[in-house]
Amino acid sequence: MTVATSDVVIETTARSRQLSIRQTIAMAKRSTVELARQPALIAPSMFFPIFFAVLSASSFSKTTAIPGFPKVESFMQFTLASTIVQGVLFGSVTGAAALATDIENGFFDRLLLAPTTRTGILLGRLAGSALFGLFQSAFFLAVLVPFDAPITAGIPGALVMVLSGGIVSLAIGAIMSSVAIRTGSAEAVQGAFPLLFVLLFFSSAFFPRETMSGAYKRIADINPISYLVEGLRALVLEGLTFSAVVRALLVPTVICLAAILFALKELNRKLAAL
Amino acid sequence: MSTQQNAASVAMPTTMRSARGLAHRGIRNIRRLPSAFFPAMAMPVFTMIAFAGTFAAITRLPGFPTDRSVNWFMPLGICFGAAFSGIGLGFSTIRDIETRFYDRLLMSPAPRRSLIIGPLLTAWVRVAILCAFVIPMGMLLGVRFTSGLLGLLTLVVAAIGVSTISLGWGLGLAYRFRDMRGAAVMQLTMFVVLYLSTAQMPLPLMSGWLHDVARINPATNILRLARQGLVRPDSPDYMSWSNTWGGLLAIAGMATLTLVFARRGLDKLDR
Repeated sequence: MTVATSDVVIETTARSRQLSIRQTIAMAKRSTVELARQPALIAPSMFFPIFFAVLSASSFSKTTAIPGFPKVESFMQFTLASTIVQGVLFGSVTGAAALATDIENGFFDRLLLAPTTRTGILLGRLAGSALFGLFQSAFFLAVLVPFDAPITAGIPGALVMVLSGGIVSLAIGAIMSSVAIRTGSAEAVQGAFPLLFVLLFFSSAFFPRETMSGAYKRIADINPISYLVEGLRALVLEGLTFSAVVRALLVPTVICLAAILFALKELNRKLAAL
Repeated sequence: MSTQQNAASVAMPTTMRSARGLAHRGIRNIRRLPSAFFPAMAMPVFTMIAFAGTFAAITRLPGFPTDRSVNWFMPLGICFGAAFSGIGLGFSTIRDIETRFYDRLLMSPAPRRSLIIGPLLTAWVRVAILCAFVIPMGMLLGVRFTSGLLGLLTLVVAAIGVSTISLGWGLGLAYRFRDMRGAAVMQLTMFVVLYLSTAQMPLPLMSGWLHDVARINPATNILRLARQGLVRPDSPDYMSWSNTWGGLLAIAGMATLTLVFARRGLDKLDR
């Protein structure tokens, strides 16, 4: 009798887990299709990073001779890593803004009324962002590598870079989703974006730390974005080393886990308040 | 009010009176809606600090016209801020069109010119506030004018010029798009025009396609005008008439084009 009851409980739990996964996948599909259907929303996050990469490559081509600048074949090769991070930062905000729009227009409430998994609402949205991040990273590499920006680590290095782009997108998407859940305003999500941009600028994303000095260098030294970009850059300039792979994957993974936990906490807080 | 004052008031051209009223409204909006003005103030400060810090090492390149990166990037920040001051008024106009306030302006007997001159005066006031805030901050961060007050004057003239150009462009697009789709086009175009110039590097240190584009981009002349009082005296870009007239001509030409573009847009809206 007891064995039969526990079998039923196990079966029910397994079925409910399967259902949750199916619902999360459906939400992820929805957020991906939503992005694909609105090219005007994603175009800036595809266009601007490439524009800045091409612009910087032409503007700063002579700076590679400055003492302390790493050995590179071109400035474009140097800027490849920062282009991925910059593009993914731009792109992941779009997903979070869409979540805030769902809250604004009441779709989020309808999801809550339906017998859906609560975490799936958030994780599905984040999965959509991560997929878009993977796509963006692959796109940037495909467009920029032919322009004198070879990846020393070869195809495995490029794959690690794409994967890292996806994780960064997930992490930023989670941070911005927390803002979306807390405020329920797409405008607030867009308003919080410049803070990320400031974080990116006060790192070694656009110029090497070795050429910086004073307070600016100290800020770049403690900024986690510096280590993330430098990990990706090491794959481009040095090759497939253990240290480069760890930096390229570990830094965004740690940020990502913390950000997802925080976003889930925000979601639970919102649900408890209903 | 005395009879003399009344007479003076009547004599004042109607255009200027209406424009002054609209300018007052625009200036009051700075206080009432600071979030709309904030980007125009934050942008130059951020550009100055972030660019000067990130790209500080470029001053070590032989032939770079100054040894202080903040001297090079403060004028860029101010020009960005001035551009956003003008564009911000384009946003306000879109909002007025969407909320139908603009219909009431068009129904009033105010001369059409005043609908452009009013925001223009507001843009200039915004630039004055911007310069009064950013220049002292830049000086605290190490900016030094190498040609004294004349350098300050050319920088302010360049900023006013950029705000005039961006205002004309912003209004012209606002009258044509009539909704917030126009806002993205305004920002994007001003951003691209300023970046495709000597925004980051002096012309002799550039290479490739950007060098060719920057050479013919009028924004290069405006930036040269803005920076001439901040570069080393032995630099070819130092304060001189030859570094001034190109910038003034670029401002006059671009401002005329964009203001005519705005006026034609207004006429279309009126019809």
